[in-house]
Amino acid sequence: MTTDNSHEEIQPGLKDIISAKISRRGVFAGIGGVGAAAFLASCGSSGGSSGGKGAALRWGNWPLYLDFDSKTKKYPSLEAFIKKTGIETKYFEDYNDNDEFFGKVQAQLKLKKDIGYDIVTPTDWMAARWIRLGYTQKFDGANIPNASNILATLASPSYDPKREQSLTWQGIMSGFGWNTAKNPKGIRTLDDLFAPQNKGKIVVLSELRDTIGIILLAQGVDITKVTENQYMSAVDFMAKKISDGWIRGVKGNEYAQDLTSGDAAAVIGWSGDMFILASENKGKFDFAIPESGGTISGDNLMIPYTATAEAKKSAEALINYYYDPAVAAQVAAYVNYVCPVKGAQAEMEKIDPELAKSEYIFPTEKTLANLHVFRSLTTDEETSWTEAFQKAAGN
Amino acid sequence: MTKASIEARGDLRLTRLTKTYGDFTAVDDLTLTIPKGSFFALLGPSGCGKTTTLRMIAGLEEPTAGSIHLGETDITTTKPYQRPINTVFQNYALFPHLTIFENIAFGLRRRGQKGVKEAVDKVLNLVELPHLAERKPTQLSGGQQQRIALARAIVNRPALLLLDEPLGALDLKLRRQMQIELKWIQKEVGLTFVHVTHDQEEAMTMADTIAVMNEGHIEQMGSPADLYDNPETAYVANFLGQSNLIKGTISGNDGDSLIVDLYGQKIALPKSRSHAIDNSTYAGIRPEKFRISLLNTQTRGNVLTGGHIEDVSYIGVSTQYQVEMPWGQELMVFEQNDDGVAPFKKGDAVNISWEPTFTFALRGDEDATAGSEVEPEVLDEE
Amino acid sequence: MGKNRTPYLLLLPGFGFLFTFFILPIINLAQTSTQTKIAGGDTGQYEQTLHFRNYIDAFVSNREQFGRSFLFATISTLLALAIAYPLAYAIAFKAGKYKNLLLVLVVAPFFTSFLLRTIAWKQILGEEGFVIPTLRSLGIISQSTTLTSTSFAVVMGMTYNFLPFMTLPLFASIDRIDPRTLEASGDLYANGFTTFRRVTLPLSMPGVVAGTLLTFIPAAGDYVNASILGDPTTKMIGNVIESRFFKIVDYPTAAALSFTLMAAILILVTLYIRKAGTEELV
Repeated sequence: MTTDNSHEEIQPGLKDIISAKISRRGVFAGIGGVGAAAFLASCGSSGGSSGGKGAALRWGNWPLYLDFDSKTKKYPSLEAFIKKTGIETKYFEDYNDNDEFFGKVQAQLKLKKDIGYDIVTPTDWMAARWIRLGYTQKFDGANIPNASNILATLASPSYDPKREQSLTWQGIMSGFGWNTAKNPKGIRTLDDLFAPQNKGKIVVLSELRDTIGIILLAQGVDITKVTENQYMSAVDFMAKKISDGWIRGVKGNEYAQDLTSGDAAAVIGWSGDMFILASENKGKFDFAIPESGGTISGDNLMIPYTATAEAKKSAEALINYYYDPAVAAQVAAYVNYVCPVKGAQAEMEKIDPELAKSEYIFPTEKTLANLHVFRSLTTDEETSWTEAFQKAAGN
Repeated sequence: MTKASIEARGDLRLTRLTKTYGDFTAVDDLTLTIPKGSFFALLGPSGCGKTTTLRMIAGLEEPTAGSIHLGETDITTTKPYQRPINTVFQNYALFPHLTIFENIAFGLRRRGQKGVKEAVDKVLNLVELPHLAERKPTQLSGGQQQRIALARAIVNRPALLLLDEPLGALDLKLRRQMQIELKWIQKEVGLTFVHVTHDQEEAMTMADTIAVMNEGHIEQMGSPADLYDNPETAYVANFLGQSNLIKGTISGNDGDSLIVDLYGQKIALPKSRSHAIDNSTYAGIRPEKFRISLLNTQTRGNVLTGGHIEDVSYIGVSTQYQVEMPWGQELMVFEQNDDGVAPFKKGDAVNISWEPTFTFALRGDEDATAGSEVEPEVLDEE
Repeated sequence: MGKNRTPYLLLLPGFGFLFTFFILPIINLAQTSTQTKIAGGDTGQYEQTLHFRNYIDAFVSNREQFGRSFLFATISTLLALAIAYPLAYAIAFKAGKYKNLLLVLVVAPFFTSFLLRTIAWKQILGEEGFVIPTLRSLGIISQSTTLTSTSFAVVMGMTYNFLPFMTLPLFASIDRIDPRTLEASGDLYANGFTTFRRVTLPLSMPGVVAGTLLTFIPAAGDYVNASILGDPTTKMIGNVIESRFFKIVDYPTAAALSFTLMAAILILVTLYIRKAGTEELV
């Protein structure tokens, strides 16, 4: 494994600690991009000197978001790809925060200069912004036959209805997470969440599409068609719950720490985090999709328009590789988020039958039917809706 | 108690005062009375316990045992700020953030006295620095700071004024001048001054009474002339000026005099100046009391013969001679250059003579070098 | 001029650094602060329209967080002063041979990341830390009282995090005081308290001024403590600036808020130095 000098590497030991305690993305995202960037430097991996048929590839992804072998300090699935295709691939875990990453590459993108990545992995709403601004390239469908494996729920987001320039890397469900001692009956509705025993011990996500999305769904609103008035009244609902002392925090990943420290009894949280919390603290935490519906979003593999034609071809080869059900199962066994690839569940049976049954990774049809995607926002909405949400969160 | 102690006046009495630090005894069972209105000096080398004694009087150290009385009031455990005692610190300890005026007014203000301005102006005039009232201490020379430190203390009209090596930081000329001024000021204000110093000349110039301290106790106490002319121990004889101590045996009586045999030569000395306890003794003579004469010259008083000049140093007002005696001892002789007699030369065979009344006798079992090897004090920056 | 250019050459690196990393960003910030959104433009696209109203809007809609920033910063500064003064005094006058060791201990928290230290506080004050259960079992706080996500926790975190900035200048100042001036004060009829008020405190004023400034200024702009230890009702102006910049991508408002904060601190500090500086400093 060689290290690219322009990217610092996480110390392997530290990485093990992080991966044991928290799941991917952001780690400290709620503190602000600056802290996250300073703390979690990126990790580079490349395919050594096997030489290559295809052009070299550079992939920027969230930390702890690809299967990693802590003994060999390698990414097994990526190593296999490199071996198979001969495409030299550098893997950087330096996508810590959507806004921060965008800020970092925006100037280069405007000037159409190489941004240092051939594949990036933004979250839906940020992916929408890239597409809107014309910063991505359309895939050559012939190079990605496996694209048809994408789960139906994720197949046609409003920002890219035909999945012509983005494919989901991992899917993220949001719903209710809770401490089973405080909520023995579990939480299925907003009323369960705002039950007296949780007063002052509720933490919600700082991702407005998830938190407000779940509130809107509980209010019977279709979040694929939400209007400004509906949105603003849901924000007011949250603001009221904050000022009345129900909600103690609007946070990124740190809600997980609040749960473990006992400061939070119930949360609106993400499936992957809750999976790890539940598996590390037997029976202490649980997670469910609200009866009225949860949200699903994803991080998306995309090719910036600054990538060369050769690099694009290599990138498409890599995307196709990871949409192979067997490879997808290998990744899912490590990252514990919703696997976007059909057929991966069957493959998972061979790796870990327990995981193959996990609703966190392979939600049933019934669960999937109850997950919704927040509609794309216009530029002006993006600003004013974010502003309203941030203000309600005290910012 | 507070009121009483601050109003206390009278003699200062130290009774069996002791201060120990771990195994080290700084002040050892000291008993001493300092009469009201006197200028008293505690004289001794570094580490003799004089500063510790002073600090206990000021209340800055607590005695391990013993008591301190001012008049009839026991102030042994009274806080410093409740004692009618002020101190002139070794390097003045002026308050750097206050003007000279406020430095001097500090004590008056703390006691809520009226007429601060008049009192400060008066004392500034006394130390002849009225024009510096609005300056800060750092803008003053060492001599000026010294006077301000003095003014800051005496403006309070304390029952007792303590001076801790007050002139140590000044150069020699300024020191001489300040010695005279201090003495004058003490007479002028009529306060009891307790002065701690290692400088015997300074002590002799100013003090009415000197207590010579050594290893935590008082060797001898008395007027400067007493101590000088009639030292009771080798330590005092050597520390206060210089002495020639010659080993001898008391061999007889002659009225008010004792006859002492010094290596076979007989001399006389007044009984009143003998501190010997048996026949063994050291006869002591100050170098300036000696007279040197050539062998065949007429001499009076006590005479020691058989010496010859070993060394000659001319130092202006006097000439210093080292005279080697037949028994190998070198005696020191200071001769005034006042009689036009041609100085003696090295190698001259001479007699040494002196008035018998200038002789003192010490115990024969003493260490003849005690007090002479004391290092000149280096001002401690503790 | 030609004869002695050395001093100017020596100034050059410092000036160059200051120009590149302070003056230029400040100019850029000033320019950004009066921009408005391009009509029909995308997120983060702004143009210069000299819209000075940004300042008024930014201030008016965030008065609460401004007020909280200065309130929290003031309380933390006073608390830090109250804790650090006796500490610095003890290290300077009473520590003897342990002086250097204690100084190292004062600075020791700096050896770990600011972020991790703050997160540690969250654990300490958390439900399953030792503070809450102890206080509850002693009956000092009720079962429902919490310490995290409160103004109390934010102020505590700030006090703790900035304590070394207060302690070190105080120590430097107190350590320089000649102990004999304190003895002289006692000798001149001042009791312990009066000696402190009339001698020790005035002589340590340079340290007090430096320490309070070094604590207050970063505390007023801090957002990490409020973010980690607070809740939505304890957010400070730093949180607003961060959110405006990164989340809402509203650069003009973020820039206007930064400038307003800078100006407010500058004015307060100037008034403070005037007041504290003229009378008390040596």
